[in-house]
Amino acid sequence: MTAIGQGRPASGPALRATVFVVLAVIGLFLPRLLGGTSVAYSTLTTIAIFAVMCYGIDIVLSYLGEVSLGHTLFWAIGGYTAANLSVKYGLNGWSTALATIALCVVAAGFLGAVTLRTREFVFSLVTYAAAVVGYEIAFNWDAIGGSDGIVGISALKLPFGVATFSGATQEDLWPVALALLLLTLIFIARFRRSRLGTAALMVQMNPALAASLGIDPRKIRLAVFVLSAPITGLAGWLYAYQRAYVGPDMFETYFLVLMLTSVVLVGRRVLVGPLIGTALLIAQQNLFSLGGDWNKIILGAVLALVLIFWPAGLIGLFRNFRKAKLSPQEKPQE
Amino acid sequence: MNIAQQIVNGLVLGSGYACVALGWTILLGVARLVNFAHGQLYMLGAFVTWYAMVKAGLPYPVAILAAIIALGILGVLLQTAMMRLVMTQNLTSLMIVTLGFGYVLQGGSALIFGGNPQTLPVTLARAKVDLGSLWFTWQDVLVFAATLLLYGAVWLFTRKTRYGSVIRAVAEDPKLAELFGINARIVYLLVFIFECAAVALGAALVAPRSPILTSMGFNEVIMTFVVVVLGGIGSITGALLAGLGLGLFIAFFGAFVAQAYTTAAAFALLLILLVIRPAGLATK
Amino acid sequence: MMRTIQLAVVALLALGAPAMAQDIKVGTIFPLSGGAGPDGQTVTNAVKLMVDEINAKGGLLGRKLVVVSKDDESTPAVGVSRANEMIAEKADVVIEGWNSPVTLAMQPILARAGVLDITAVSKSDLILSGESNPYAIRINSSNGFDAEVIAKYVVNTLKAKKIAFLTQNDVYGNGFQSAVEAEFKKLNFSGQIVTTEKFAFKDTDFRVQLTNLKTANPDAIIVTNSSNSSGLPAMVEQYRQADIKSTFVGAVGIMLTTVFKVAGDANNGIISADIYFWDLPPFNGIAESNAFAAAFKKAYGADPDKSAALGAAAVQVWASAVQATKSLDRKTVADAIRGKTIKGTVFGDATFLPNGQLQPRYVVFKVVDGKNAKLEALPQN
Repeated sequence: MTAIGQGRPASGPALRATVFVVLAVIGLFLPRLLGGTSVAYSTLTTIAIFAVMCYGIDIVLSYLGEVSLGHTLFWAIGGYTAANLSVKYGLNGWSTALATIALCVVAAGFLGAVTLRTREFVFSLVTYAAAVVGYEIAFNWDAIGGSDGIVGISALKLPFGVATFSGATQEDLWPVALALLLLTLIFIARFRRSRLGTAALMVQMNPALAASLGIDPRKIRLAVFVLSAPITGLAGWLYAYQRAYVGPDMFETYFLVLMLTSVVLVGRRVLVGPLIGTALLIAQQNLFSLGGDWNKIILGAVLALVLIFWPAGLIGLFRNFRKAKLSPQEKPQE
Repeated sequence: MNIAQQIVNGLVLGSGYACVALGWTILLGVARLVNFAHGQLYMLGAFVTWYAMVKAGLPYPVAILAAIIALGILGVLLQTAMMRLVMTQNLTSLMIVTLGFGYVLQGGSALIFGGNPQTLPVTLARAKVDLGSLWFTWQDVLVFAATLLLYGAVWLFTRKTRYGSVIRAVAEDPKLAELFGINARIVYLLVFIFECAAVALGAALVAPRSPILTSMGFNEVIMTFVVVVLGGIGSITGALLAGLGLGLFIAFFGAFVAQAYTTAAAFALLLILLVIRPAGLATK
Repeated sequence: MMRTIQLAVVALLALGAPAMAQDIKVGTIFPLSGGAGPDGQTVTNAVKLMVDEINAKGGLLGRKLVVVSKDDESTPAVGVSRANEMIAEKADVVIEGWNSPVTLAMQPILARAGVLDITAVSKSDLILSGESNPYAIRINSSNGFDAEVIAKYVVNTLKAKKIAFLTQNDVYGNGFQSAVEAEFKKLNFSGQIVTTEKFAFKDTDFRVQLTNLKTANPDAIIVTNSSNSSGLPAMVEQYRQADIKSTFVGAVGIMLTTVFKVAGDANNGIISADIYFWDLPPFNGIAESNAFAAAFKKAYGADPDKSAALGAAAVQVWASAVQATKSLDRKTVADAIRGKTIKGTVFGDATFLPNGQLQPRYVVFKVVDGKNAKLEALPQN
């Protein structure tokens, strides 16, 4: 039995929970610690939203070993659902979020069923085709926004019984973004240790063993794919409120390449990998931008070079470095 | 008269699609490598041709050769970089790597060639042929003829020569082919060079139709993708028929329905095909 | 000797101190890379030129103007980042917008931060809807006004009886076509619209549509294509190759420099309209325009086109309002522009509707020498 089933020893759930709460509180005050300017809030909110977007594709990549080129579809579904329902019907944040999850599950169910027997590049090409069709529909269907999209998305409203949280400014939206991010992290952490997660890994790494244990790979594939969609979808949902505008640009390769690079950069199956990757990339684009052309070169080069030279990502590099430093007698620490 | 002209239009468009798609389908069929940099390679091929003609003053045929050679060399460099991933058949990573390369090529070309639109000064592109009431240009004739010749040559090569069978063997089962003493590494390298050279030729022939920009390429990938999938991955005759067929479909769909929705229609067709016959995408 | 110099230095520093008081930041966000890069560059250059001119005359409110220019890469998500950067850098005004989706994405961001946002070029009607930006200002003309001038020309002057449309399939193209059709109704147009052909912005091959249009054989074809760098020049060339006899009537503002440069003499005979030509009346009679054109030619080696004029006018309108109200506050300055008239711009007197739209003045023209972009102004009615 491989080490997949074992969680971290010693630490214990109580310690983990405490660390988590501490980090969450620090996260809440992070923008203030970084200056409290609107740019600090908006950059961190953007990083949080894009990171959640990446986690969707990360689940598929890390646990199914497949590259989904169609996750921009779910990202857009989230954005368009939030925009259309709040502008046209005045629905509050909870309703639009639920609608997003529902639509993403349906779309992913359909797409997942279609790609059930496809593998690798065929799977990727089909998801790519789905994204293109989605773009064409969004661009040409004036009822849901058309080529200019939907403007004037009002602030996020989350009623909590007695009070209503209103995300009118970037400062207000940050707690929501952070909450979404933390929820996603908790979800992924539990997913890893869940039966579905371990089964998915087993199918990916040792299909024969999985089959002998009676695991149906197709059910696993579908389940994991469908699970990954609402994550990216909710990121798109929040993005609509942050930007107050959605349009067919949500299908652009800009987001796809950002997602892929963030996931690949740090390494697969690292819990905070996509978050760190996203933070680094957004930081480069916003703070160290060298102009549109050079930014493209940097983004593309990072993506290609990491996969060529350090396919295990930066974390792989770090682990190799640590292994090399430790002498044979010492035990590697967890 | 309208129908006849639309048939001509369809064949002209279709031969362009087929010409640009040939390298992609061979690469995909043999090495199972999805080259997402295809569109940017097309753009680069067009710009190298332009540069050769406008800045270096070379005549058109020499410029075409220059583009083929330049992109061939680039292909060597790219494939060498990707070689380890290719040999371990890490297809998902390869795909993303080419996506990254495409971005680098786009940014780099913009820096080198600038953002302004350029025209390829090819006189054939403006030399009209009037056949009764039909019209097309000599460039269209060139593209059509060159496409047929290219496809014919490649088909003969893969079917009738020993090297062709070597390539087909590697496409079938690289490990087995290696056991038989075939150097799969070299085969992959040559096929990738072919893809780059073929797309350079396609670009040199098709790009003169309109101004070129360093930001172009996305449309070409889309259409190539449709052609390859419709024709069957790795199938040479399939790609030719699918290319011409797609051209005719677009001409008639555009003539009788709405030109603006042709991409959507083509992709919807693709998705339906994939839903009905997902196994049909398996390589030959 | 030393003491004199020391005193002089101290005096100079003392004099210089007030001038060190914060410079006024004029931000620009346009595409500087990608397909629309050269266009965005032109507008940005015009803004820089105008800012230099104002600085030469002593600045604004006694302070120097400084341009902060950023690239939105024609991508809304990038535009939003740049807008946030502008806010962080405390820009006093942002002149932006070549692509409508980018403008629409940036508007709420700038509005929330209380930064005055002037849209120079983007054409979408949503920009002035007031939803994202209650103090929106747009310099470029809107589809509504454009349609009026084109429809009038086609119906009254050309007296075309059979008309066809060749329209870019997006909100801009479809919106323009709808507006023209509405104008036709108003003018009691007695002819008929024989066919409508559409295409995508990125298309470069139009044989299929042109074949259909040739068969329909209308008197005039109204063409709406904003891809001035690739699609439109290709379309013009293919139009001539297809030997279509119908008059090519271009939508307002599509005949930009790149179209003439690439399609050359194929443009001859095209009829269109635009809101600025440095060498045609009434603009060649406006002092500010002539001064601007001369300075632009000197600084950048080319004559200014409409895009440059839009950038320059944006600065002039804003500066004038700031000067008049002695304020940099968004609401104050915007109220001095919206619904008001600003004198002394490259467009002459610039009159704004209450919703922030600049009322354009049109020149209807025919291309007589495409290679050299020589136009002949036509009388309007």
